[in-house]
This record gives sequence, C-alpha cells and structure tokens, in this order.
Amino acid sequence: MNPGSRITVISLAGAAVGMLALSFAAEPLYSTFCRVTGFGGTTQIADAPPSAVIDRPIRVRFDANAATDIPVDFKPTEEFVDAKLGETILSFYEVTNISDAPIRAVAAYNVAPYKAGKYFNKVECFCFKEKTLQPGRTERLPVIFFVSPELADDRYASDVKSITLSYTYYPAGGIPDSARPQDASAGS
Amino acid sequence: MSSDSATAAHGGHHDDHSPSLYSLSRWLFSTNHKDIGTLYLVFALFAGLIGFAFSGLMRAELFETGFQVFEDGQQYNVITTMHGLIMIFFMVMPALIGGFGNWFVPLMIGAPDMAMPRMNNISFWLLPASFALLMLSMFVPAQATGDATGFGGGWVLYPPLSGTVGHGGVAMDLVIFSLHVAGISSILGAINFIVTILNMRAPGMTLHKMPLFAWSVLITAFLLVLALPVLAGALTMLLTDRNFGSKFFVPAGGGDPIMFQHLFWFFGHPEVYIMILPGFGIISQIVSTFSRKPVFGYLAMAYAMVAIGFIGFIVWAHHMYTVGMGVELKAYFVAATMVIAVPTGVKIFSWIATMWGGSIDFTVPMLWAIGFIFLFTVGGVTGVVLANAGVDYSLHDTYYVVAHFHYVLSLGAVFTLFAGWYYWYEKMFGVKYNGMIAGAHFWLTFIGSNVIFFPQHFLGLQGMPRRYVDYTPAFEYWHQWSTYGYYIVAVGTGIFLIGIIESMVRHRKAEANPWGEGATTLEWTLSSPPPFHQYNDLPRIR
Repeated sequence: MNPGSRITVISLAGAAVGMLALSFAAEPLYSTFCRVTGFGGTTQIADAPPSAVIDRPIRVRFDANAATDIPVDFKPTEEFVDAKLGETILSFYEVTNISDAPIRAVAAYNVAPYKAGKYFNKVECFCFKEKTLQPGRTERLPVIFFVSPELADDRYASDVKSITLSYTYYPAGGIPDSARPQDASAGS
Repeated sequence: MSSDSATAAHGGHHDDHSPSLYSLSRWLFSTNHKDIGTLYLVFALFAGLIGFAFSGLMRAELFETGFQVFEDGQQYNVITTMHGLIMIFFMVMPALIGGFGNWFVPLMIGAPDMAMPRMNNISFWLLPASFALLMLSMFVPAQATGDATGFGGGWVLYPPLSGTVGHGGVAMDLVIFSLHVAGISSILGAINFIVTILNMRAPGMTLHKMPLFAWSVLITAFLLVLALPVLAGALTMLLTDRNFGSKFFVPAGGGDPIMFQHLFWFFGHPEVYIMILPGFGIISQIVSTFSRKPVFGYLAMAYAMVAIGFIGFIVWAHHMYTVGMGVELKAYFVAATMVIAVPTGVKIFSWIATMWGGSIDFTVPMLWAIGFIFLFTVGGVTGVVLANAGVDYSLHDTYYVVAHFHYVLSLGAVFTLFAGWYYWYEKMFGVKYNGMIAGAHFWLTFIGSNVIFFPQHFLGLQGMPRRYVDYTPAFEYWHQWSTYGYYIVAVGTGIFLIGIIESMVRHRKAEANPWGEGATTLEWTLSSPPPFHQYNDLPRIR
C-alpha cells in the first residue's frame, strides 16, 4: 500500500472510532443539555433563593406514579397548591411499602408543560437521592420548590397558568424477589 | 480444493488465468473485486427473495380483517421487523454498494482492483454470518418467559420495546449482534471504497472527471463511515442496558429512551441516503448512455450528492416530531428537511435535461431509469408533505409514511438496482438477457408496485396505523388493492428469475459494448465479462 493510502486508511479508521466515541459522549451531553435548558420538562435545582415574589398566580398540581415492578403505594398529600411566582412552597408526598421486604427506590421526575422545566426550581427534594423503604412503613416525603418569576417574561412560556409536577418511583438496582408483586396489578 | 486442474479444464481460450467458476476456494478466499461483487449480488438476491416473501406474508395477512396467516400480533410484527432489516441491510446495501460498487468502481476509475482486496473479502463474508444471526433471532425466545419468539419491535429498535421490558429474551440480543457485524462489514467496505477512489484513479482521472456512479459511491462511503459507528454505539448501549445493568435508556436510572431515538436517527437518516445515492449514480450513467449525451450539469450533479449527504446529517429529528420537542426545534427540522428538496430537485432536473434533445433509446435499463425518476419524484413530494411537523402529527406512523418510504426505497432504490442489473448484466455475466422477458419484468413491477403502494397513501390519510396485524373493515377495500398489487409484482419477480435462467441456458454471447456510442465510461472498453485481472497497462484519461 502506498503512503497516501495508508494516511487515508488511518484517518478514516480514526473518523469511525471518533464517531463511536461521540455517540457515547452523547449521554453526558444529552443530560447536561436537559439540565441546562429544562428540555423535556427537566426541573432545576435552586442554587439561590427566588429573586422576588411577583403578583402572578400559578397553580402547581401534584402527580405520583409507580413502575409496575415496585410494590409501593405512592400519592401526593394534596392535589394542587395555588401560589405566586417566586413564592417558596413546601408540599408532601406519601409512600408506603406494601411488601414484606425493604425496597431501595428512586424517583424520576419532570414537569408538564415541558417549557416550564427551566423555571421550576427545587430547593429540597426527596427525589435527589435513593431511599430504602422499610416494609409496611409509610413515609412523608417533602419537596420544597418555587417557580421562578422569569416565567412571566418568557414570551413562549408566559401563557403557563398551571404546572404539573410528576414523580415516578422505580426500584433502584433491583428489588428482592420476596418483595416482588405476585400479580401484575399489585404494583401499580 | 485445487483450482489448478479446474483452470486447465476451463482454460484454453481464456488467457487471463481465471479460476474455475466451480472452485469453492475462488469464492471463499476471493480477493478479486469482480468476484466479490458477484458474491454480494448473489447474496442480495437471496436475502431479497426472503424479504420479499416476508412482505407477501404481510400482504396476505392484511388482505382482509381478522387473522389469516399469523396467530398473533407478535408473529406479524416479527415479520415486519425482519422485512425492514433484511431489505435495508441485506438487500439494498449489499446490492448497490457491495455489488455494483465493487464491480464497477475499480473499472470506472481505471484501477486494477480495490485498494485492500483481502479486507474486501472480510467485508463480504461477515454478511452471511450477520444474516444468519438475524434469521436465528426469529426462532429464539422473545421474552424471558413464554412461547413467543423473535423480535417484533420494528426495524427502528426503540427501547423500551427493545429493552428488557419489551423483549427480555435472547432474540433481541441476536438482532443487536447481527447489526453490529453488518455494521463492521459496511464500515470496512466503505473505508476500502474511499481509499480506492482517492488513491487509485488512473492517470488523468481527476475527481472532476470521475463518472457519477463512482462519485455516488464515494459520498455513500463517507456517510457510512460517519453514520454507522453511531448506530454501533447506540446498539452497544442497548446491549449493556439489557445485560449488564447500565441505564442509558432506562428512566429509573436517570436514562432516557428518547436519547436512543436521537442516536438511532442520527444514523438512520444518513442511512436512507446511503440506500439511494448509489442509485442516483447508476441512473446518471444510464440516462446519459441512452440519451447519447453527457450528463447535464455534471459538476452540479456531483455536488448535489455532496449536499444531500451533508444535509442528511442535520435533519434526523424529523423522524421524531411527536416526542414532544419544542416548537422552535421543530421549525428548524422542518426547514432543514425541506432544504434537501433543492439538491434533489437539481438531480431530477438534470436527468430530465440530459434526456431533453437527446437521441433516446428505450432499452430495458432506460425504462427502469425513467420509471425511477417518475416514482422517486412521487416519493419526494410526499416526503415534503411529511417534513411539516404539523402535518406529521396526524400522519406519524400511518400508512402514509409507509407509502412514502416505499416510493423512495421499494420503487426508488429497487428500481435503480434493477436498472443497474440490466445495464451491466452483459458486462458482468458475459451473456445477453432476453429483452422481452426483461421488459415484462419491468412493466409488471412498475404497475404492481404502484398498485401496492399508491392506495397506502389513502389508507394513511384515513388513519390506518402501521405495524398493525388487524384493522377495522373500513380499511379493507384499499388493503385488498394493495395485496393484488403484490401478486402482480410476485409474477414479475418470477419472470425476473426466469429471465436469469433463460439467459444462462441460451448463453447468447455478450458484446464488449452493446450500448453503442452513448456508453463512454471505462468499463465498456473491456471485454464482457472483463478479464479476471484488468488494466495491466493503466488507461490514460485525456
């Protein structure tokens, strides 16, 4: 093979390997992108208190789900809360482990409509880390959040009058067989 | 296997030392670009007939409401999935790139062979292995428990349907392995083509004098090198999600199934151009040959393909308008997608302008080429319709989409494939085909495939979703037409096979250049079939 061909082969093989590497780099890039832009309703973690409370009402609805393979009873303590933009709210969810074994669980979350994700700031949330739920115990789970006043200035999002905060509980790293629901309906 | 005795028996009037046609080692260990091209074509024919038979099962099932052929939806979905994967990875790509590309790129650019002949052998022989894995997947468990077999999640392989939730059995793992192997095969082949075209052109054959078919394979090869590794990456993530506890696409672990769709279509959209660009090249050669004119706007034709290839990488999310992306993002993808109509329009215009005022010869390959231009334009128009995110919201995953991509692939890519087949048949196999039989093949396929797919536009607009085994009786009328169309194409396919046998039995001696003065590319300066090793003295292009 002549030297010109060798350079071509090496650079093409490099391009192929580079694209493979980029496809894996997509994973951190993708999650960074969602966190920064609130894409897909990804909520923000508040690093500063709200700048101001403005006189613009917002209703926040609470939604709770559990994956089919996790035996928990999971619900919000209130259906919704009426607040103002910039007002810090504390609300609770309740989760009960209805099996006979401890479960390690983690909650995935987002808000709807998606475009509100950028403005939905959580100060403290049970969803930040995984939990071990003891059998038969009911736990109260706090979430502290505010909806940032900048929402009112965003021409694409200022029409939002109500935001639904949603959580879905999943087993973290598998659950013991003894805790698995015996029929499909038990978990949901 | 000794090839010496076989050569002696067959030799005599051949002075090019080609080994016997019946020597196993000639094919297994082949490093000859023409033999490997033939292997690719035979493999594609074999896989294509299986894929075609699968679509027959689907059309028979959909002839009326209720269950006819299949026992349940899973079986039907396995067959649709396999039909798609076979036709894309084991029929169109091997035939257009591996088959015609291997055969004619070296001949057209005046090279003695491919740059890396032994890698060429590996590229081909990975494919039967990959195909075997895919076929095997249909007979192994779909789920961890239960009797269902095969992977029925569609050729797009979206999780969670392709994860442990949807298909926890070993079938999906075999599909992943199969596509990994097919992907490696294609990447190796693509590198080989680029190195050959960039470094082994005959003296005087500058890039801007290179025939458009060689251009199309060069661009296709670049798309393959850049797109396929992304599919490999996505499939590897899927594999580790399924088997080793990673959570790339699992929401419970902070993953997102939508990311698979982004990765898949970053590969998948260039992939559709990978399937059609070599066909564009073939059509350019044929239209020029039978109009006895050089291609109109040669440079524009070459760079239109470059533009299509480039834009192909930045429009992927138009396949996923319904995942919930923001309106501005959708606006971008709508606009970018519609821009593709510009270079594609340049190509359609230039083909017509090449024919304009030409001395047109309506030979069989020219019929296929004109049929292609007409039908591809229909598919292109419905593509512009679907590019609109608002319209796509109602047409997403309906038969309108099915009709659209079959017009550009089944009636587009496949027509270019048959056009190339009849254009180069004499050159490759050294015998003449029967014009009557080939003409019947064209007309039956042309009429039949339109009867199959045109009514599917109506079904889609009425709301018939794709990948459904059953439907409400309201859709029955056009489904029946569609199935009748399949029977017409099936007769045409039978005639196609008869045509091959007829030409081999009659053995009419081929001419070096049967097409006359319009055929100006280098392959027509050689005998038919070309000598086993060509261009001992490199041709000089003025």
